[in-house]
Amino acid sequence: MTEIAKRLSTRELRDRLGDPRLQLIDARPIDAYNGWRLRQEARGGHIPGARALPLKWAAYLDWIEIARAKGIGPDAPVVVYGYDAGEADPVARAFSRAGYVDVAVYGDFVAKWSADARLPLESLPRYRHLVPAGWLREVLTRGTAPEHAGGPVVLCHAHYQNRGDYEQGHIPGALELDTNSLEAPDTWNRRSPAEVREALEKSGITRDTTVVLYGRFSFPDNRDAFPGSSAGQLAAFRCAFIMLWAGVTDVRILNGGLQSWLDAGYAVTTEESEIRPVADFGGDIPAAPELAVDLPEAKAMLAADDANLVCVRSWPEYIGEVSGYHYIERKGRIPGAVFAECGADAYHMEHYRNLDHTSREYGEIAAEWRAAGITPDRHNAFYCGTGWRGSEAFFNAWLMGWPRVSVYDGGWFEWSSDPANPIETGIPAPASSLGVHA
Amino acid sequence: MPEPPACSDEVQLAIVREMSGLDDALARYEYLIAQGDALPPGTGELRSERYAIPGCQVSVWIRAELEDGRLRLSGDSDARINRGMVALLLRVLDGRTPAEILTADLSFLDRTGLRTQLSPVRANGLAAMVERIRAYAREQLAASSSGRASR
Repeated sequence: MTEIAKRLSTRELRDRLGDPRLQLIDARPIDAYNGWRLRQEARGGHIPGARALPLKWAAYLDWIEIARAKGIGPDAPVVVYGYDAGEADPVARAFSRAGYVDVAVYGDFVAKWSADARLPLESLPRYRHLVPAGWLREVLTRGTAPEHAGGPVVLCHAHYQNRGDYEQGHIPGALELDTNSLEAPDTWNRRSPAEVREALEKSGITRDTTVVLYGRFSFPDNRDAFPGSSAGQLAAFRCAFIMLWAGVTDVRILNGGLQSWLDAGYAVTTEESEIRPVADFGGDIPAAPELAVDLPEAKAMLAADDANLVCVRSWPEYIGEVSGYHYIERKGRIPGAVFAECGADAYHMEHYRNLDHTSREYGEIAAEWRAAGITPDRHNAFYCGTGWRGSEAFFNAWLMGWPRVSVYDGGWFEWSSDPANPIETGIPAPASSLGVHA
Repeated sequence: MPEPPACSDEVQLAIVREMSGLDDALARYEYLIAQGDALPPGTGELRSERYAIPGCQVSVWIRAELEDGRLRLSGDSDARINRGMVALLLRVLDGRTPAEILTADLSFLDRTGLRTQLSPVRANGLAAMVERIRAYAREQLAASSSGRASR
């Protein structure tokens, strides 16, 4: 086994943080990177500039492709840190084994870096709303967990008219939540406030309930009659958006969805959970109307100089090769929308996910957005076909603490259904083509 | 073209043997890449929408043609690792009858760890490739039972 050639002291690492060639690697779980204190360390978060490359991924055959996709190259120095040597050393060895020439380990993250308040750490501002499987398990079994104020918790297994997805195995205690209960079946926009209220009360959710949502990714095929039925984690983000709009104050997503629960080795059940409806949601709906943008405001945003309508669709949809959906006829894009690619097609979000379906390192998402002109100083309304992908992108921006983020709920479905609305197709001229397509 | 071995199990066993000597993830990755590099490059016709497997961020194409009652498979991808997965599936399934394809257990995917050691997104891609080949086999069986040849 390859020996670890170099170990850095805290002072050595601190002095090298400004070095632009340094490739600092955080081998801890992605949730620790985001801010969770998984080992009760003094302070949470990651060392500024670090890239997330959890040890878990080093077991994948295609690990080196993940490292390369992050732009981590073999010629510049690599420094790996983890909670302990058991985490950092195997990742450092994998780099050496792959031909990286200058690989070192920093071994004092918990004892020294996290413990010393003078040393910088960064985290995802709303990391508490993107939860690890271990936290969820603790809340479910003990009723309490760190970073939780206490009180009732409702866990929702989200799906789109696919009860079988819930029945074949769900996290113990989870209710099934069909997006149809929150989305109108004719527009796929959020339902009326009264209907949303009724659906939430039936599921036992008040404004003060902690709601945790997750779904199962089961390889959606766009040729299926209902591909959304296989894109459960997208459904979870969609429901999270509608609940935030309604006014649920503590909405959380299980990072990675059911996959993370299974990866942690936790059991699922086929036993249906008991639903305890509540009599009163406890507040006006919507409590956060600004989170949803409808057509008139979307048009105003296109004309404004401090706003973006953000197209979270695939490249073939953006240039008008495909509509993206078998139930939408017209192809093309909203003129003036800013492109923020989702991934392969209407049911895939590769640009927003890691290869284990956890949400992508947030700095990478922000960097892609920045290159396209999507920045936190502007009002950004994310949209797609009918709001699912837009909701996942929105949730990422919300996690980052961006002050003015929304979903343009109607999206391409609504825009394209009125022939009076202009449409663009083809590859845009470079000046307006801010999105980078590889 | 040489006749494929009588039993796809033999090919599966050979792949399991080849991979059993590879003691870390990178070695298994490099094996997959080498398998993909040995796959003949796809023609323009193969690399068309008709044969594309949906949902893969990097396109994968698999085509099947019936020849003397057997499915002749070809495939390609722009990603070398995907080409490697296509190459392994073709080693096991190319030249089999539709019925053999539908009953092949493909246990080599588990015995080599391919199914569990790929990242979930790649593992899903692999599952989609298997499903596409099985769908071709099902189409052929349905066509022959209804008395018409397909393709």
